[in-house]
Amino acid sequence: MIDRLWFLMPELIVLGGAVLCAILGVSRKVGVRNLLPVFAGWTLIIAGVVAWLFVYVPSTELAAVATEVPLPWLGRWVVIMSAVVGLMLVFVQAGLVDRVYEAAVAAGRVAFDPLRTTRGEYWVFFLLSVGGLMLTSGASDLVWLFLALELTSLPTYVMVAIGRVDRRSQEAGMKYFFLGALASAVFLYGFAMLYGATGTMSLVDIRTVLAEQVAETGSMNPLATIGLMVAVLGIAFKLAAAPLHLYAADVYEGAAAPVTAFLGFVPKAAGVIALMLLLSVTGWQEDGQLPQVLVILLWVMAVLTMTLGNIGALLQTRIKRMLAYSSIAHSGYLLIGILAGPGAGYTAVLIYLVAYGLSNTATFSVLAGLRRSGQEVEFLDDLAGLRERHPIMAWGMAISAGSLLGFPPLLGFWAKLLLFMAGIASGQLVLVIIAGVNSAISAWYYLKIMAIPLVGTPKSDAASIERVDVPGARFALVLISGALLVMPVALSDMIADAEAALREPDKMQTVDEDSGHAGGSAIKQEQPSLQS
Amino acid sequence: MTVSMLNILQSAVGVPAVPMDQVVVATDLRWAGIILLLPLLSLLLCGLCAAMRVKSKLPAWCTVACLAGSFVLSVLLYVNYNPPGEVIPLLSWMNLSWGDGALNSFSANFALYIDSLSLLWIMFVTGLGTLIAYYASEYMEPDLGKGYARFFAGVSVFLFAMLALVLSDNLVMLYLGWEGVGFASYWLIGYYYTRPAAVAAAKKAFIVNRIGDLGLALAVYLIWTTFGTVQYDELMTVLESHSWRAEFEGWTISAIPFLLMLAAFGKSAQLPLYVWLPDAMEGPTPVSALIHAATMVTAGIYLVARTYPLFLLEPVSLHVVAWVGGLTALLAATIGMAQYDIKRIMAYSTVSQLGYMFLGLGVLTTYGAAYHVFTHAFFKAVLFLTCGAIMHGFAGQLDLRKLSGLRHMKGWRITSWTMLIGCLCLAGFPLTSGYFSKDAILAEAFVTQGPGFEILGWIAILTAGLTAYYTFRVWFRVCAGPVSYEPGDELHDDHGDHGHGDFHPHAPRFAINSVLVVIAVGALVAATPYFMSNKADANIAGGWVADMVHDSTARAGLPGLAESQHPHSEEVSHGAHEHPTLFGMDPHKAMYFVSGAVGLIGILLAAYLHLWKRKSADALRGWLLARGWIAWLPRAMERKWYVDELYHALVRAPLWILGHICYAFDRFIIDAVIVDGTARVPRLIARWLQPLQSGAVQSHAVVMIGGVGIIVLLLALCLRFEWLGVVL
Repeated sequence: MIDRLWFLMPELIVLGGAVLCAILGVSRKVGVRNLLPVFAGWTLIIAGVVAWLFVYVPSTELAAVATEVPLPWLGRWVVIMSAVVGLMLVFVQAGLVDRVYEAAVAAGRVAFDPLRTTRGEYWVFFLLSVGGLMLTSGASDLVWLFLALELTSLPTYVMVAIGRVDRRSQEAGMKYFFLGALASAVFLYGFAMLYGATGTMSLVDIRTVLAEQVAETGSMNPLATIGLMVAVLGIAFKLAAAPLHLYAADVYEGAAAPVTAFLGFVPKAAGVIALMLLLSVTGWQEDGQLPQVLVILLWVMAVLTMTLGNIGALLQTRIKRMLAYSSIAHSGYLLIGILAGPGAGYTAVLIYLVAYGLSNTATFSVLAGLRRSGQEVEFLDDLAGLRERHPIMAWGMAISAGSLLGFPPLLGFWAKLLLFMAGIASGQLVLVIIAGVNSAISAWYYLKIMAIPLVGTPKSDAASIERVDVPGARFALVLISGALLVMPVALSDMIADAEAALREPDKMQTVDEDSGHAGGSAIKQEQPSLQS
Repeated sequence: MTVSMLNILQSAVGVPAVPMDQVVVATDLRWAGIILLLPLLSLLLCGLCAAMRVKSKLPAWCTVACLAGSFVLSVLLYVNYNPPGEVIPLLSWMNLSWGDGALNSFSANFALYIDSLSLLWIMFVTGLGTLIAYYASEYMEPDLGKGYARFFAGVSVFLFAMLALVLSDNLVMLYLGWEGVGFASYWLIGYYYTRPAAVAAAKKAFIVNRIGDLGLALAVYLIWTTFGTVQYDELMTVLESHSWRAEFEGWTISAIPFLLMLAAFGKSAQLPLYVWLPDAMEGPTPVSALIHAATMVTAGIYLVARTYPLFLLEPVSLHVVAWVGGLTALLAATIGMAQYDIKRIMAYSTVSQLGYMFLGLGVLTTYGAAYHVFTHAFFKAVLFLTCGAIMHGFAGQLDLRKLSGLRHMKGWRITSWTMLIGCLCLAGFPLTSGYFSKDAILAEAFVTQGPGFEILGWIAILTAGLTAYYTFRVWFRVCAGPVSYEPGDELHDDHGDHGHGDFHPHAPRFAINSVLVVIAVGALVAATPYFMSNKADANIAGGWVADMVHDSTARAGLPGLAESQHPHSEEVSHGAHEHPTLFGMDPHKAMYFVSGAVGLIGILLAAYLHLWKRKSADALRGWLLARGWIAWLPRAMERKWYVDELYHALVRAPLWILGHICYAFDRFIIDAVIVDGTARVPRLIARWLQPLQSGAVQSHAVVMIGGVGIIVLLLALCLRFEWLGVVL
């Protein structure tokens, strides 16, 4: 029997993995505790494979269930993306958590105390947060959406705080928690107004009700419009988009580099997915446009976000702060795709998320993979001449920063190209020009990030920078750099898959009845790239 | 057109393009992709060898094995493919579409286009590549453990790019290969990167090629905007559809062949872009043989042959091709006559022979051009490789005045005799391969009607004589005569302790000798395709190579092809109606005697001046230099017609001045005023906003809620009072 629960199979697997980690994390055997990242990684792999091969394989029964969700096939893309990027994050974070404590235990200075270890908790929260991101994509009503977003965010507050033993990370965790709670209140307020205006929680039903109201009165219910605006602004916190971006620089800098890599992707992706689902209630009217107020809102948010992000990054000397601001700017670019709407816009957003997630993880994996007397490398200039001692790190940094900048032929370039093309196609030429100018501004600091490790003159104390003993970060860096170079080859397959993930349920059903292979074609189209 | 649009739309969703009516998609030939992958594998292995600091000849063996595999597969592919052509899809790459309509989609995939033209090319590219890599395994010995793996990695990159260029089924992948071979050429010319001359030559080659590449990029773009596709099969279908010809008018149709021509002239070293090729001889000699004589420089010929139907649409472009080719042949031959560096002479001779090939394309004999490419690849490779052997053995000595009588020296006989074979072919000695392929071009210059083509024919005949002269000048000087030699200045470590006094040239050993013999035999055997019977079309002459051209896009330029089979050449014609004559004979027959005689005269002249009466050559030079009215001629020839100086004055100096003006503008206006000025603005803003960024949670919260509140309030007011119409 197939029902909605079937769609949640990957999330249930991740939940199971989280429970397993919670139990194994307090094991007295150090070997078991060291295996936690491996468990987490396998959980994600299994969830991804299950989503890929079993859950989203179309059938008529599934298509019937799918009508309850605005974008039922989105989960396929989001789950696999979360699993892949999550797996990379596992590599980056492996061996990070509780380093000091575990080292002390290993040296015999302290006896192992299940109450003091945080390694188990960390991986539980990691998996729960990724599970939240997966869950977001299947949201069918406002409550689900809210809970999924909170499930994504709440664990991250703890992860920031326990990522490293440092006053700054505690402070960052605290700040993040308070401001996050505030933002949640904002979008919950928006949800409440939406409910008030329509009398239903289901996204599909809200869309129907709003469409009826538009048919009657000629314009959308003002309360619903304001509710949507408030909700969008609240969700902007997850994306670190203006005007709710202020926390980003402080929190990203305060957290340990691997955790920052996590923060840069998971909550942001969840926010973007939530925006896509939330805006579906407008039905995108008949001309494929949002109501004008929302267009203005998103337009202003996009321009402010990318401009503030890039200007903020421009003058930073601390590399994590620079990358934090740049990740704000990327939210601005993503908003262009959101504004361009279903079809080309959302397709570009999905691909951009993958490109951004991988590149961002790679840049932070360099920072996570380098240490100077036990501390993280703080300044960009400290990386000068990195190529001489750690060539893999330097080249990986150059490739991933190049991808973030949108340097052809890397994946980031194609993703940005698709995003801008979708923006132009939807008539947002001015916005795309502003984004182009912003992209040029970002070249200033991205090129610095690319060039300084490769050709800079090493500082006198450069020799004190060492690689961490756990090779996970390096491994992830090599994998991602390769992927960024190779994936553009399969770009058309990716586009086809993203389009398949964005089909609406009603269209889905008709295609399904026609040939019986609609969703299957998404899988078939994977094959050429796999074979070759 | 509708058919091709359908294909584009289908390929936009990941399905490979559907074949044109006669070209079939051959998925069963997918293994042909291995031909491309093997050089990549070799690159990977060489990279590993370099990383592991392998000190043996392992990189060379990896490369030779992979290239040999490519060669075998190429031959297998030739046996297995079905004329007239097949598309082998490998990997989908770019399939974009942004709506319906002619120009709203773009598709370029990694797919192989197999027809006889590409097969001809890949067979000699991989075959010669294998042999030359084997030769290099011995030649590069002094660099063992240093640059050895880097060298073979470069060769692998080159082979990969060249095969991609030739096998591509669309112009975008061709462009990729085109840039790839340019890059590999840069890499290998600059192989001795500690030598300033090599670095300068590498840069020169790269920059001059960029000019041509610009032409190719623009041409690809224009082809796409004009025809809506960049895939050959679709392009040819569009071109053959009469509805398209009826409705199309526009400047692009005239611009495309000229842009393609620019690209071809850059890559194949024709006027005015030939200047990089002689300098490219700074690279290791196997590279000169492989890239700058046999294979890469023929990419321009291949491009023109591949897009020949586009040239036929604009006959003037073919006239230009013919004239540029003819003049380049003459100019380079005259320069070659007056040089002393044997490798440079060979380089100018390459430029000159490439000129012949373009002349052939221009006078409507793609067959002649392709045949000359084929034979030239062999005999020029053997000439370069013998030069390399001499250079290797005499510590870098290349001056023909300082080497003599090699054929009497022990261990140098194979070198001398194989060089003689190469020289005979190049000089067009009767019944050698070069004789037949050159005749095919020369005769057609008299048959085809075009502006001054007859003059061009005589220029080409004169050039043939000059070629014979300078070729044998080298051989008589270096290989014949009494034994005497001076070593060059590149004494390797192994006999550095001998000093100049008792220098012993070390003769080439097995690898070099065997390769020389094999390629020399190949150069002789390359004459036999001429005598093979034609299978494809009884009307055309020219044997196997003509068959190879017949089944390809270059078919329109085949001598003797019936007029009805020329769909586009209304203005250009082979002149079948009134066949012109030369000395009362059919030009094809007359040319056997004329070019043979001219070649013999050239050889005899060289023998007189450089073998029997060596002093008289210097006397002649002195006599010429002493006469004021003619002294400019030898001087100009020795200084290469002052072309480098001319470019320096016309191109480099203005650019240098412009560069300094730009620098000053950048330094004092942009940097000082605009950049520093603007950089102050964000800092000012930042300072102004700093109180907000205090890091305190409360202030963050206030800004957040304030921002949300203000925005919502403003927009709500807009909504309430319908101000949006005013705003938008």
